[in-house]
Amino acid sequence: MSVLLKVDNVTMRFGGLVALNDVTFAIEKGSVLAVIGPNGAGKSTLFNVVTGVYKPSSGRVIFDGVDITGKPPYEVAQRGIGRTFQSSRLFSDLSVLDNVIIGMHTRTKTGVLDALFRPGKSGREMAACVEKAEALLQFGSGDLFEQRYRPAGTLAQADRRRLEIARALASQPKLILLDEPSVGMDDAETDALVADIKRLRSEHPELSVILIEHDMRVVEAFPEHVMCIDYGSRIAEGSFETVRADSRVQEAYLGKAAAHA
Amino acid sequence: MAELLIQQSVNWITLGSIYALFAIGFSLIFGVLNVIHFSHGDVAMTAPFIALAAAQALSIAFGATAPAWLVLAVIVAVLAVGVIGAVLDKVVIRRFRDAPAMMALVATVALGIVIRELIRHLYPQGSNPHAFPRLVSGVAFEIAGVPVSWLALLVVAVTTLLVALLFVFLRLTPLGLRIRAASEDRIVARMMGIRDGRVFRATFFIASAIGAIAGLLFASYAGVTRFDFGVMAGLLGFSAAVIGGLGSMPGAIVGGLIIAGIEVLAQTFVPDGASYRLVFVFILVIVVLIFRPAGLLGRTAMEKV
Amino acid sequence: MGGPASPAAPGSAVAAAVVAILSQLCGAAFLYAILKADGGWEVTGLLTLLGLGFFLLERYPAMGDFVTASLARVPLVTMATAAIVVLGFPFLVGSNTYILHLLIVAQLYAVLALALNFQLGSANIPNFATGASYGIGAYVSALLALNFGMSFWLTLPIAALAATLFGFIIGVPSMRTRDTYLALVTIAFGVVVQQLLNNFEWTGGPNGLVGIPAPSLFGHSFASPLEVFGWKLPSQANFYYLSAALVVVAIVTAQRLHRSRIGLAWNALRADEIAAKAQGINVAWYKVLAFAVDAFLAAFAGTIYAFYISYISPDNFTFLVSVTIMTMVIVGGMDNIFGVIVGAFLLTILPEKLRAFSDYRLLFFGVVVIGFLMIRPQGLFPQRLRQYGAHR
Repeated sequence: MSVLLKVDNVTMRFGGLVALNDVTFAIEKGSVLAVIGPNGAGKSTLFNVVTGVYKPSSGRVIFDGVDITGKPPYEVAQRGIGRTFQSSRLFSDLSVLDNVIIGMHTRTKTGVLDALFRPGKSGREMAACVEKAEALLQFGSGDLFEQRYRPAGTLAQADRRRLEIARALASQPKLILLDEPSVGMDDAETDALVADIKRLRSEHPELSVILIEHDMRVVEAFPEHVMCIDYGSRIAEGSFETVRADSRVQEAYLGKAAAHA
Repeated sequence: MAELLIQQSVNWITLGSIYALFAIGFSLIFGVLNVIHFSHGDVAMTAPFIALAAAQALSIAFGATAPAWLVLAVIVAVLAVGVIGAVLDKVVIRRFRDAPAMMALVATVALGIVIRELIRHLYPQGSNPHAFPRLVSGVAFEIAGVPVSWLALLVVAVTTLLVALLFVFLRLTPLGLRIRAASEDRIVARMMGIRDGRVFRATFFIASAIGAIAGLLFASYAGVTRFDFGVMAGLLGFSAAVIGGLGSMPGAIVGGLIIAGIEVLAQTFVPDGASYRLVFVFILVIVVLIFRPAGLLGRTAMEKV
Repeated sequence: MGGPASPAAPGSAVAAAVVAILSQLCGAAFLYAILKADGGWEVTGLLTLLGLGFFLLERYPAMGDFVTASLARVPLVTMATAAIVVLGFPFLVGSNTYILHLLIVAQLYAVLALALNFQLGSANIPNFATGASYGIGAYVSALLALNFGMSFWLTLPIAALAATLFGFIIGVPSMRTRDTYLALVTIAFGVVVQQLLNNFEWTGGPNGLVGIPAPSLFGHSFASPLEVFGWKLPSQANFYYLSAALVVVAIVTAQRLHRSRIGLAWNALRADEIAAKAQGINVAWYKVLAFAVDAFLAAFAGTIYAFYISYISPDNFTFLVSVTIMTMVIVGGMDNIFGVIVGAFLLTILPEKLRAFSDYRLLFFGVVVIGFLMIRPQGLFPQRLRQYGAHR
């Protein structure tokens, strides 16, 4: 299998704070990478660097053979990276359905002149979007489809997470970045989420996934490739077993647990 | 040429000081409430009218000629405008602090209309310009043969004093510290037990009173006042505050000086510059904001993702 | 649970048609009554009635949904009724040129408000320079007509292109500045344009441009009375129909954009810019686009205004005009086409009717606007969720 995303020696500084320190990793087409680490370790910053929200202080991001370092977020999205946000950023005053349709922005083409002078074409495109969006909403667990005409802001926490994933998938990405998808879900919902991701992978074998997770049960479900970040540095990488056994990883987590005790 | 330069420099510093005082009000209010109080200029420009009316009333009640009562009238006006500001905050502006920025802008523009119309209707012959006396008259001294008036000196002295007082107040007094805390982070400040109401009231009183002083100095400098002077005072003061960076006191002063500088430069060196001065001022505003989107001394807030 | 998906529509198409026709006739009758009303009591009474209507809508939202659903159920009947009402109104008004004048101005403001709605409503971008785009449209077409004898119909697209260019220019800073700062940039652009018009010699300075010739169509001059089937309508009727046609253009434009991916992209960046970018939306481009579309439509209104009044001056395009347009959008209801039009009519006609309060009307106007923003910040007709397919 070929490499899809390659992050080369990426460092991200905010003033004096080093959020990412010389991080390097790669992910292959069709695989899952789980990123773990204590709060504030730099996991979300990593996503933000990959998706172009931040421009790294140094280092390179190569996606699908193209250097996308510092490219604007919308261009990164057009190249095929979908994402969710840790704090689930939905378009809360729009309907669930509209949220997903907006996710198809890169897959649709209507420009101003088309919209104005060829309403038929624009209308057909929109109708096709509605159809696809409804299919996406029916795909996963939960009853998003039944709630498709509700404003997204009124959804329950677990549904918000699911909707964000559906929206990210709407662009038919090659790589999807999920930032703590199980936050706010109970055990049953988390299990359903894991099942959803597994089913998604079997239906789209080419799709790659990077997960940021705190819930070890989710990580355990995708044990092939796990990376641990602490204080902005990659401290361990490998299978779930190897990473879990790594002394620095245990230190990072135990240290955090001790601080909470 | 040298004389012209000195003359215009004096004009620049004087006008810049007045604009800075207007700008401080905008900045202070924005810092604490996160609301643009677009009618601040109109509130401030009620001061000359209140002072004129008060002087009139005092001279009728106690005999003597109006100018004698001017000092007292000015004090009355400053306090009255401070109170007006606090009342407007309570009745109108505070309700928009959680609303989208555009709502507050439109509402305060409408408030400006109301204030101007009230002046026009309540003051006798309010539609006409009214002469405003020089608060101090005569020439203080000469620089290379160029006379510097007492009024110019007064403007600069008052501005310096007010800025110093404000600085001390915001850094050293408990209320000032609370105002600063509220402008740093409203929610945190509230959690720490800072009662919003009092902080807002104090902020509005201070901002409006400083605005009143600016309005009085402006009217005195121009020798005249009119019910709609507040529009320009507001636009220029707001521009100065934004160029400097909203919420930043040094920024407001720098902004005021820059705006006045452009105005004076345009009038001095560009043929027919006087009529184009606003064009120059606002082109500068655009250019500054394109290159420094949060103003010269403003902090660019980094959004957490 | 279906959410608000299928609002209560009347049972049969006939019932829907009756509701559609009656509701529109009621609206037209009210408009006619308030235009005709003279003297404080009549106006006060009608305004009370209006207030009561809005109160009922607020209290029983199902009523509004019912009417909306009826209108949507029989689109042909709805449009035919609307067409008859609009076309027939001048006949009802007869020779009262003052009412026709008010209607023309209201329609032009409706176009301006719809133009601004692309930004303020759909994308929540402040723009205090719509008055300037309006002015550029008016001046460009007037200058072309006066200096080169160009016909109205030719100046119309040229003025629109010129204003669109201006829209692109004011749009550029929107890529970097936001909210209050962007608001100031647009205010600055508005003041610069107005001041330049006021100072240039070739724009006539503060005196403006005089003697803009009336347009003509197929040999019929718009300055002469309009004769239809033996009915003689005053010359204002020409411009009434012209501006009505422009309103239709503006509505169609607004609807088509709203229903396309462009409207969705604007809504997305209004809700959350960072999330919008993550969906592949070129936020900067869409912001600039909103400015351009706004300027384009505003210029049409400006051109018609110039040729209608035949005299324009910088005073017609001040900062206050931009604020008025903004108020219309907010009062009517952001991102709601119908609401915005109602807002424009209300805020054009209301100050005129407040003549009963003569000198106090501006004061009254300000108080009403503030009160309104405090009591009903979401506008008379708040935005609605899009409905698709069977749900439309």
